[in-house]
Amino acid sequence: MYNDKESQKIVDIIQNYARKHSLFILAYGTGCGAIEIPPTMTSRYDAERFGIRGSATPRQADVLLITGYLATKSLKRVIKVYEQMQDPKYVIGFGSCTINGGMYWDSYNTINVLDKYLPVDVYINGCMPRPEAVIAGFVKLQKLIQQGKADGWDIYKKNIDEYKANQKKIITNWVMPDFNF
Amino acid sequence: MNSLVLLILIIAGGALLSYFGHKINKILGNITVFAVALIIPIYWFTQVDFTETVSFTVSGFHMELGYNMYGRLFSMIVMILSPLALIYAIGYMKDQKKLATFYFSFLFSILGMTGILMSRDFVSLFIFWEIMTWSSYLLVIFLGKDVQKTGIKYMVFSAIGAYAMLMAIVIIYKNTGSMMLSDYFGSFAGFTLQTKLLTGILLLLGFAVKSAVMPFHVWAPGAYSNTPMAYTSVFSGALSKMGIYGLGFVVVNLFAQANLEIVGYVLAWLGAITAVLATFSAVFQHDAKKLLAYSSIAQLGYIVTGIGIGTELSIMAGLYLAVLHAAFKGVLFMVVGAVERQAGTTDMNVVSGLVRKMPFTFFTALIAIIALAGIPPLGGFVGKWMLYESLINNGNFLMVIMIFLSSTAAFLYCFKFLFGLFLGQQELEFDHVKEASPIMIIPMLLLSVFLLVTGAYPGIVFKYIAEGMTNLGFHNVNWQMSVLTNAWGDSVNVQHVYLSVVVVFVAFLIFITWRGYKHATKISTKDISSSGEMIKPEDNMTYAMDFYKPFERVLSPILKYKINKYYEDFGKGLEALFDFMRRIYTGNGQTYAVYVIVFLAILLIFSKSIFGY
Amino acid sequence: MEGIGYKILGAVLTTILAFVVGMFYGGFSRKITARIQNRVGPPVWQNFLDVLKLLFKKTSVRYGFMHHIAPLWMISMSITTLMFVPVLNDGLFFTNLNFSGDIIFLLYIMVMGSLGMALGAGSTGNPNSAIGVSRGLTQMVGFEIPWVMALVALMIQYKTTSVTGLMEVQSQSGTWLMFSSPFAFIAALLAMPGMFRYSPFDIVGAPSELASGPISEFGGKYLSTMMTSGSIFAFVKLTLYVDIFMGGASNLIVLVLKTFTLYMYPVLWGTVSARFRTEQSVRYFWGWPTFFGFIALIYAAF
Ligand code: SF4
Repeated sequence: MYNDKESQKIVDIIQNYARKHSLFILAYGTGCGAIEIPPTMTSRYDAERFGIRGSATPRQADVLLITGYLATKSLKRVIKVYEQMQDPKYVIGFGSCTINGGMYWDSYNTINVLDKYLPVDVYINGCMPRPEAVIAGFVKLQKLIQQGKADGWDIYKKNIDEYKANQKKIITNWVMPDFNF
Repeated sequence: MNSLVLLILIIAGGALLSYFGHKINKILGNITVFAVALIIPIYWFTQVDFTETVSFTVSGFHMELGYNMYGRLFSMIVMILSPLALIYAIGYMKDQKKLATFYFSFLFSILGMTGILMSRDFVSLFIFWEIMTWSSYLLVIFLGKDVQKTGIKYMVFSAIGAYAMLMAIVIIYKNTGSMMLSDYFGSFAGFTLQTKLLTGILLLLGFAVKSAVMPFHVWAPGAYSNTPMAYTSVFSGALSKMGIYGLGFVVVNLFAQANLEIVGYVLAWLGAITAVLATFSAVFQHDAKKLLAYSSIAQLGYIVTGIGIGTELSIMAGLYLAVLHAAFKGVLFMVVGAVERQAGTTDMNVVSGLVRKMPFTFFTALIAIIALAGIPPLGGFVGKWMLYESLINNGNFLMVIMIFLSSTAAFLYCFKFLFGLFLGQQELEFDHVKEASPIMIIPMLLLSVFLLVTGAYPGIVFKYIAEGMTNLGFHNVNWQMSVLTNAWGDSVNVQHVYLSVVVVFVAFLIFITWRGYKHATKISTKDISSSGEMIKPEDNMTYAMDFYKPFERVLSPILKYKINKYYEDFGKGLEALFDFMRRIYTGNGQTYAVYVIVFLAILLIFSKSIFGY
Repeated sequence: MEGIGYKILGAVLTTILAFVVGMFYGGFSRKITARIQNRVGPPVWQNFLDVLKLLFKKTSVRYGFMHHIAPLWMISMSITTLMFVPVLNDGLFFTNLNFSGDIIFLLYIMVMGSLGMALGAGSTGNPNSAIGVSRGLTQMVGFEIPWVMALVALMIQYKTTSVTGLMEVQSQSGTWLMFSSPFAFIAALLAMPGMFRYSPFDIVGAPSELASGPISEFGGKYLSTMMTSGSIFAFVKLTLYVDIFMGGASNLIVLVLKTFTLYMYPVLWGTVSARFRTEQSVRYFWGWPTFFGFIALIYAAF
């Protein structure tokens, strides 16, 4: 894509600047980590000063925030939501559960490594991570965007077969259309 | 031969030809109807001489036919809308039975309207009026739906109107000794106040029934929605305008001249009340036909208000709205007909998402709805603007607020109409729906083009209105091609509005379509952001049931009172009365003799004081 | 000073001005809300970044023709309205089409944009959008009534129906209409928050209830066009209020000051109130605001 070379065109700089400072997040809050989102957004930690803002629908969102463990049942939903988002889009894995399963690593109905199913740009570790950590994660994402390295959406598109194969291994009753973005 | 007689013969002959054509076979019949639908307007626009008159005397009554400019304006509505509706009907009625009767009645109602608009005396007016009423009655009961309620309601109200008119005519004849309209107008000033009011109001009653003014609107929703839609577009578009035609000359030529503006004022208030209540009723309908029927009543309310106020600008507004209403309601009823034919139902709770199936129908509906809602830059706005300005210039502030309330609430049903039928999710059960046949689409498109053009150049209609208003006593009516001016000199240049909207729209269309369109994937209406919920193709997520529940809650204190209820109570009362009457009719001859004598005695005693002779 | 080129330049400049000012107002309102909630808040130019980012989105979806043109419809109506509202009292440069329209026309064209958005929202098939539209239109019936009453009162009182005419009345008499016709001003002011859709009248968007309502399926370029249109429209509405009730403005700084003061009223009210239900909102508008509207009408007529 357009950031293979180290040098960026002026358009890219403007683009990335705008993208970096305006992150609409869609929180997929089924894990227990979701409880840390409200303090992050409200008065105490105020994520809005970084241009981070909640959004209600995937069509408008830039960042998909997966807060914690994903049951196999809800993975299907997450994939659908992710595919409904518009490029460029980023995924933040939130909490240990998304990295390696965390305390649910041997559970029969949760996935262990989120990155196998969706392209994660930034992991925030901790069980659960504190708001400072969450904000640190966002700042990291902003840095990546600025450098043009947050291209998970592109990787997902390129390796769609691999991702789909992984997803289908988990989701046995696949009812949705294969590829809907 | 006289061109007017020939016109009537052509229409009547067309009716007979289509009747026999359809008796022989369908194709022949349809070809005949198509030919008739072309010949009538072509003849009218090219051959009819508007200065000609024809007069004859039948059993002592002198009858005279001849156009005046005011009648010609309304004739134009009839002559443009009806042939288009006839052509539409060829496609729309394809699968129906009894087509011969249908086209016969259809053409006879056109004959009736044409006759009304050129009659110069009360006898021919009344005859043609009855032709129109009866032929439309045949069409109201044509589908055999709800005949008991709708047909009887229509007939009862039409009869009330007709007999009111007849009574007026008799009184006029007694007072002037002539049946000519002009004699009546001429000698009106010399009547006593009682006669003035009696004749005028009886005539108004006759006309008000046809134009569905509160409280005589009860027949309209049922009649409009149970008639085949091809005819309803004429019914609501042109036939109801016959009432407006009559109201116009009674209010303006008679009462305003005789310093009885109060009658017009009362009428204007009735119009405003009609508009508000009918709009509120329309908002809560879930059948698209019923919605449009109530909306017609509301729109006629605006027109009546405009006529009733009686200033130059307001009459112009009323007449302009009458023309426009014919166009957009014509389109909308045709649209509903097309949907009914293609999808099988017009229930907005059931049908949804037809826009992808019927794009042309949707487009015409959109144009017509914008015009109906009176939003610039389309033609409907011009009429609304003139109506408001005339009311404001007159200082009728309460009426302005009522009309505004009604037309703001009209946005609600306007949106619901488009949303209910065309937008929302696509359903599996409507997957088979196809676009209507071209013979149905073309009349709709032609009328929508008219609506588009009047947005920038309302002058093409003003021209005829101004000529027509000379017969109402307004000479040198001030109009311009695309600048509207009110009595205080404030103006709107609709051409600039049009220009601005179109330029910005096109600029941004290019902007958003360039690059954007290619990157935008077209997706199905089931692929919505639903918080991860998997919507299956057979799930229906459209929110259409009780669409305006919040509004209903707001209005719940008012909605308790429905005028229909009063009529029903009245009907129940009548039933009780007749029950009582049945007991009087004992079947004994002597009792009847007594009744007759008593009745005659009462008549003798009171005739002096009631009738004055 | 005539010439079509000059006119076009004026129109484009006015549009840019409206866009920039409207965007900054949005940013300021976010900042002020944040400060009231004891937060730092986003920078005031945050809205520009949002619009820019949405513009740079690589993909978007559309549900058909109506969905595609709905944002265009909105923005053409906003800009057209802008063309007909006088920006400055005697500005030579910003007299776009001010003399070609009057108040009744403005009232009508101002609702056209909402209808376009409603149709676009309806064509997505998202039930949340439809619910939002239903609420929005119902609310519109609510706030239009006192607002129209106020305007009709002014029109009857001063015997003119154009905005420029009302501005002339003010410059001749030297007082603002908000002082010479106080009841009309009160009615219009009470109706105003409904137009801006801040709390407690944010029942249309209602992020936590309806997933942002009508706009929930619009993304990328479409959403960015809508946001642009929204900020232009906010500017237009404020300018119209200033023109009618506060004597217009003789230069841009005065204009910005006046409109901003006016703008603070719905914003500040919004920060401290919870959301109404739809029928509560309409009942509010048909209560005191309509009452003052009636008084204004009676005051004007007699
Ligand atoms: S990482 Fe910890 S807090 Fe987060 S979802 Fe897993 S168990 Fe819960």
